[in-house]
Amino acid sequence: MSGEASLRPEQRLQRRVIAYWLVGGALTTTVLTGLAWFVGRPLLVEHWDKWSSTFDLVLAGACFGLLAITLIEPPLAYARWRYAFLGDLLLMRYGILFVEERAVPVRRMQHVDLVRGPIERLFGLATLVVFTAGNEGSSFRVPGLGVTDAQELRDRIVEARGDGRL
Amino acid sequence: MPKSCATASSRLVVTDASEPSAVPPSAVPKAVAPTVLASGHLHPAILLLRLLDALRKAAVPMVLGVAVQSWWLVGFGIVLFLLNLGYATARYLTLEYTLTTDELRVREGLLERQERRIPLDRIQDLGFESTILRRALGLAVVLVETASGRGVEASLDSLSRADAEHLRDVLLAARANAVANTTTQTQATAEGEPPPLQEPAMLAPEWLVHQSTTGELVLRGLTDMRLSAFLVSGFAASQLADQLGFAQRVAGLGRGARDWLLQFPPLTLVALLIALLLVVMALGVVTATLGNLVTFHGFRVTLRGDVLQRRYGLLTTRQKTLPRTRIQRVTVEQTWSRRLLGLSVVKADSAGGSRSDGEDTTGGWEVIAPMTKLPTAQALLPALLPGLEQESFEWQRGSARLILRTAVPGTVLALVLTPVLWSQAGPVAAFLLLLAPLWALLGLLVWRNLGFALGRDFLTLQHGVIGRTVAYVPTAKVQAVVVRRGPLSLLLGLADLTVYVAGGSPTRLPDLTLADARRLANAIAQRAATAAAAAW
Repeated sequence: MSGEASLRPEQRLQRRVIAYWLVGGALTTTVLTGLAWFVGRPLLVEHWDKWSSTFDLVLAGACFGLLAITLIEPPLAYARWRYAFLGDLLLMRYGILFVEERAVPVRRMQHVDLVRGPIERLFGLATLVVFTAGNEGSSFRVPGLGVTDAQELRDRIVEARGDGRL
Repeated sequence: MPKSCATASSRLVVTDASEPSAVPPSAVPKAVAPTVLASGHLHPAILLLRLLDALRKAAVPMVLGVAVQSWWLVGFGIVLFLLNLGYATARYLTLEYTLTTDELRVREGLLERQERRIPLDRIQDLGFESTILRRALGLAVVLVETASGRGVEASLDSLSRADAEHLRDVLLAARANAVANTTTQTQATAEGEPPPLQEPAMLAPEWLVHQSTTGELVLRGLTDMRLSAFLVSGFAASQLADQLGFAQRVAGLGRGARDWLLQFPPLTLVALLIALLLVVMALGVVTATLGNLVTFHGFRVTLRGDVLQRRYGLLTTRQKTLPRTRIQRVTVEQTWSRRLLGLSVVKADSAGGSRSDGEDTTGGWEVIAPMTKLPTAQALLPALLPGLEQESFEWQRGSARLILRTAVPGTVLALVLTPVLWSQAGPVAAFLLLLAPLWALLGLLVWRNLGFALGRDFLTLQHGVIGRTVAYVPTAKVQAVVVRRGPLSLLLGLADLTVYVAGGSPTRLPDLTLADARRLANAIAQRAATAAAAAW
């Protein structure tokens, strides 16, 4: 067991996770803003007689704001994300406005999953999901890992957990 | 090595998310074939209850049918009655439970057969509940709880009291044996021979841990201020709305009552309102007192070996076992009125039970002491968390910057709301400026009540505004630690620390200094990682 000072995670995610988040975020934002502008707006214009150009401006502003957030968020999130596996503790640190530092003891883990969505697969990325027993907040995710890294990390966790003798 | 994690740790499931309880019961091949320890059927007297139940269900169409001379309706009632009774009889005839050294099996169903198998080491609790009718017949509903978070996994409605007690005793002994076996098994398999099957452990003597007096229960009811506080705040809100001129706009519905009330002179009106309020409050207090007396009548906690047992209830009696090793967190709670009187409630969260802070689950399953003097409550704690008595806690305070963190949003809110309301309602809006000192006062109170201490094996936390709650968490049970900082906390160098355990809601330590939070989180995480107790 390392000393208390070394309990700060240092490992970064794969840099291409920014691209992955951008693509994923762009897709959802496009769908959302598209729906709002091309479906929601005509409906409102037709059925609500108080609609005016002010609302048009507000809606357009909201759409562009959302788009801007989608573009800005991934690099910031990437810059903040750190994780580390210390043999008996899995550490992570992330968040832009709200910064969270999590520590999960390996002995408390119930199972470990590797999740790869279609876009993630395109980028050769994987997300590690760790479950603990408990009602609230019992799963922990580490996104943006290289596939081999993720598998290795999972195997290390399983190994650390697997012998079962405490 | 305690039981539950013996399975979880030897086979970590690497595929998709399934419930913790879905882990195969024994990944380790058992050296001994499971032997049947107890088995049986439901008690026949349950048929009588089912008969009454069926009669009750069929009563409405039959009575109605006779009343309107419709024989179709009566026929429908009779068919309903026969169907209900037939179903109950079939269920009674087919239901069979078997307790082996490995698991509890409940088989039932005539057309659709169902067999439920619950691994022994997954059984969190065995509770009994009997309504007044069942008690008259000497019956009890057996509730099997697992740690899956769903609460009751299976219920046997009903066994005779003796059968139910026997089942619990055998189960507890079998579990104690299973623990002994897993420890001997490693040595035995090394020598290449199966471990000897042990005799069922002798039941340890039972110690009385806590007993509630009727006086304490009455006090619990009298200080149950939830209802009256709600009423008072509702009244205050309506008065405020009236002052600000909202009431007229909302009116319409209440206008009639209003006109009627306005015919009285103002003094009488005020007296009338106060009297009404007092009556409602008194009613609330009386119902709360009666409710508490009925629910917690004769509350007793006993300790046998490592298992706590609670028995209570007047009409519906409840009996609930709670293995001490499954306790995730113990809280000593004081609402403001109870704090004034030096009274407190002791509760224990166990894996599987779920409640949020300050809220009772139905039946008071997690209550260890419904109401007791604070020193008694504190003396009770080592019985729930062994080892707590050896701890010496060095209490620490949160950062005083907490007051600032609460005051800033309050001030901002006041400064924004006042001009907005001023344009609508005039100078009355200046009252809103009071929000700023109020929030600062709130921050001060929160800070004054906030304290924490990390001992060798336990984390304690004290928090509250006017009331006070002290929580004790064994560090070995910690599932995860999270340090969280919001935008304002980042500016002030503060952080929240949240400690997750397998039962109940997470314990939150707000507004520590960042350094304190990190130090504490590291210490807790390292202790949890190296802790020997692996069972949750």
